[in-house]
Amino acid sequence: MSQAVATGRTTTQDFSTWRRLRGWITNPWGKPRFLVVVTWTYIVWSIAPVLVAIQFSFNNSRSLTVWNGFTTKWYTSTSPDINSVFHDPGLRGALQQSMKLAFLDVVIATPIGVLLAIGLARWRGRGSGGANFLMLFPLVTPEIVMGVSLLLLFSHLLTAVPFGTPAQVLGHVTFSISYVVVIVRGRLFSIGRSYEEAAADLGASPPVALYRVLLPLLLPAIVASAAIVFAISIDDFVISQWLSNGANTTTVPMTIYNATRATPQPSTDGIATVIMVITLAAVIAGVLVFRFFTRGEHGRGSAIDDVAGFGI
Amino acid sequence: MAGEVKVVDLVKRFGDVTAVDGINLNMPSGEFFSMLGPSGCGKTTTLRMIAGFEQPTEGQILLDGDDMAFTPPHKRNVNTVFQSYALFPHLSVYDNVAFGLKRQKRPKSEIRERVGEALELVQLRGLEKRKPAQMSGGQQQRVALARALVLKPAVLLLDEPLGALDAKLRKQLQIELKALQQQVGITFVYVTHDQEEALTMSDRIAVMSEGRVEQVGPPQEVYEEPTTTFVADFLGVSNLMTAQAHGGSNGRCRVTVGEFELYAAQGDTATTGDTKIVIRPERVHLEPHDSSGENRVPGMVERVVYLGNANQIITGLANGDKIQALVQNTGQELTYKQGDPVRVYMPADALRVLTDTGTAPIDENAVPGIPSPAAREPLAGEGSPNVSV
Repeated sequence: MSQAVATGRTTTQDFSTWRRLRGWITNPWGKPRFLVVVTWTYIVWSIAPVLVAIQFSFNNSRSLTVWNGFTTKWYTSTSPDINSVFHDPGLRGALQQSMKLAFLDVVIATPIGVLLAIGLARWRGRGSGGANFLMLFPLVTPEIVMGVSLLLLFSHLLTAVPFGTPAQVLGHVTFSISYVVVIVRGRLFSIGRSYEEAAADLGASPPVALYRVLLPLLLPAIVASAAIVFAISIDDFVISQWLSNGANTTTVPMTIYNATRATPQPSTDGIATVIMVITLAAVIAGVLVFRFFTRGEHGRGSAIDDVAGFGI
Repeated sequence: MAGEVKVVDLVKRFGDVTAVDGINLNMPSGEFFSMLGPSGCGKTTTLRMIAGFEQPTEGQILLDGDDMAFTPPHKRNVNTVFQSYALFPHLSVYDNVAFGLKRQKRPKSEIRERVGEALELVQLRGLEKRKPAQMSGGQQQRVALARALVLKPAVLLLDEPLGALDAKLRKQLQIELKALQQQVGITFVYVTHDQEEALTMSDRIAVMSEGRVEQVGPPQEVYEEPTTTFVADFLGVSNLMTAQAHGGSNGRCRVTVGEFELYAAQGDTATTGDTKIVIRPERVHLEPHDSSGENRVPGMVERVVYLGNANQIITGLANGDKIQALVQNTGQELTYKQGDPVRVYMPADALRVLTDTGTAPIDENAVPGIPSPAAREPLAGEGSPNVSV
């Protein structure tokens, strides 16, 4: 016995450094170290610039490259010399416009998307396959194409819709609905039809089954998709830009774009930071609510995978 | 009396697939009626049509004489226990059981009382506040039963309700379920692929195959007197032999299996020509190879399988047929071992001539004599729950 162990040791010592290094990386019983390295490299690469931008929004000078100490004046100062995020009319207006669009988008796109998802998931037969596929179209259409087509639509056909907030909301709703449909439909497939059948079996008419059983079961997916709609709306640049009508309907991404092209300032980083925090908060809240409502559901996490998959 | 279900010339097609192919069944009030068959035989589809989840393509479903074809499920006086239980995960046990009563807009006090009674019936008193996810499979099954029974339906439909439970719990619940049915006295329509479940609980069994009913009768009858090859093979273990029948006299049919001549006193003894004969392993006797007499055929022991309570002895006959004998374990040592020549005695009153000569279900993986796994269906959770058979 002890002899066998000793033999094993001797063999190990015969390994060259190179072979041991290779063994450390490719050891099939160990952690996937190579993949871990790749993952962390990517994470650092993607987050570091954002962290730098956040840092310079607290810089005590106009410079975006030289650190001059900490201040919050780019957020809160009321001095006319400093265009702070919360007091400069342009930045404040942009923040308000972005929030308004995101809110309206959530309120309009979520219910419509939920109804479409239920319809598509429960619709069997002729045309259902095609409709299911076409629902994904807005997800794969380049945003610039959708923006241009909406611009043409509103300027030539639907001239009753004025540019600015109404056109922007319609544009956002148009492409947001697909996200809601995809997430909610995933949840519908994973919960199956048996709960609705059980409800009908126990005497619930279809509307009652929808209200008492299906909607509560869909709630986590509805909340998650609302969070994602909020996040993509507040992030949107292309469609907001095409459908705006001047300064009073400028959104945060548009402001940042314009400011960065002209004279970037710490307050630009500041408003970017604010919007990022809001987006992050919305998505985290959505995921937490989703987790809360799906706790105890083991082994059927396909809906949460959907959310993770579409998490901006 | 309420709770009589009649199924008349029922057909269900899904596109090109005929799931149910013109079946007729009669389930009198208060009966424990089982539909037994392998995956895809149409038993679940039939049940779902009775419940109202599927619309029949043709035919009628009569509940106490009324055709229910155009009555939606929420207006039928039948309730279902689903294979997956389908307990509402967002509701407590109490609210699950009260769901149907609330839909009927019963007064609160009545709901409380009846939910209590139903939970008492399934021995779940005290667990009202639990969520389904916090309960074991057996407990969930009982909640599903209580939820359906609390509405006092005329007919209770059960779709493989014990399929997801482990063997021991399943045995226990089989007994409880049967006792419960006798206690509440309503018609139970029970779908299963498990022959033992069907045999132990049912008043009558309909054995189904490929959308048709093969045989209907009390458990003893379908087991002892199978009329078709399918039933003989599906229920229990059978020794099936292809034979030539030469007609009978005195209720005995002379048949030849290869070069051997046998007499069969059961089944269709007047028939002639190609047929199949069957004998249950427990009715086969093994005798020393030099014994003689009618219905004794020479063979050789090919394999002895120890089953605990019995020994299964597989013998090969000269014509290639394999005959399985079941020898109870009485504590004595077995007389025969692998390679021994024996006489296989198949008493005439245990040999049955089958009416049809259709082919038995193909099950190439089955070891001869070991209960066929062909009848096994995936348990709940495996595969798609939406595929109805």
